[in-house]
Amino acid sequence: MATKSSKQMTAVSKLLDQLIKDGKVESFSAVEKPLKPVWDKLVCARCALCYLYCPDAAISRQADGYFDADQDLCKSCGICHRECWFGAISMQEVE
Amino acid sequence: MDTYTLFAGQFLPFNERYLPGGHNACAGSGTALALRHVYKALEDKSTDLAQARWDETPTGIFAASETPGAPVLIIPKAGENRLYICFDAEAVGKKTIPDQLIKKSPAKAAASGCLYAATASPSHPFDLIEKIRRGWSIAGSAYIHILCPCPMSWGFEMENTVRIARMAVEARVFPLYEIAEGHYNITVEDMRPRTVADYIGRQARFASWKKAQIATLQEQTDRLYAQLHNSAAHEMN
Repeated sequence: MATKSSKQMTAVSKLLDQLIKDGKVESFSAVEKPLKPVWDKLVCARCALCYLYCPDAAISRQADGYFDADQDLCKSCGICHRECWFGAISMQEVE
Repeated sequence: MDTYTLFAGQFLPFNERYLPGGHNACAGSGTALALRHVYKALEDKSTDLAQARWDETPTGIFAASETPGAPVLIIPKAGENRLYICFDAEAVGKKTIPDQLIKKSPAKAAASGCLYAATASPSHPFDLIEKIRRGWSIAGSAYIHILCPCPMSWGFEMENTVRIARMAVEARVFPLYEIAEGHYNITVEDMRPRTVADYIGRQARFASWKKAQIATLQEQTDRLYAQLHNSAAHEMN
């Protein structure tokens, strides 16, 4: 059963890709981009709270001591933005 | 600025060995956050972590009525001893009743032979990490009950996971304490607690609650916290 449903899923996603390519369906990722955290390095005190509270382990310390998020792992939950003591993190659309 | 400032978070190991990103948990999942800190606390015990197993329901003696089906991580220690870590997302079906919000399983675990039993919350990560390490190092079984807020089933914005967890502690619905070899100790104590209504009013799962129910929960919370405070103070003297 599992293989059958996964086959169906691939068929659906192939169809959807084709429809998006033809311009008949608008893809979600084109309509709304998820917001990602952006650090203001002038305000950031490097307290590591954002690193502590990230559930997805997306935030890591960079070589300069500041923090940055891995855009592939980040699920845009916004916990880092909410918990930042200094208000250094803002959620923005990132290219 | 760096000359005179010091932040505790910077002394943690900055590696993610056991819970790398890319897992399938929801955005803002409290369980994923708690699990990340548990693995961070136990990261130098890698050989034993490999033998850890998950159990769907709390087994035997810890079968607590308030956490049916909560996942429990069981890590074998020396001999027959185990470290039980319960990730309680309070997924208790459609109705949430006051009895399920107030946790009695640490006391039950302590009564049934665990040398160390504690509650922990991902909003207080250092407290959580210390409790996990203490539960690991003690010579006997240990039980740690972690509250994991779930944005989907509790009904709040996913960015507020840590806030809600902190509110549960501040409202004393989920007080952070430990029972080490029978000795009670409240690890995080707020002198000016929130009201229970403040905690409850921010979650959609309590939307149908009447004022009388909230008053009942407030009264139960106060009574149990007073009991807890009494037993902790009694140990001190």
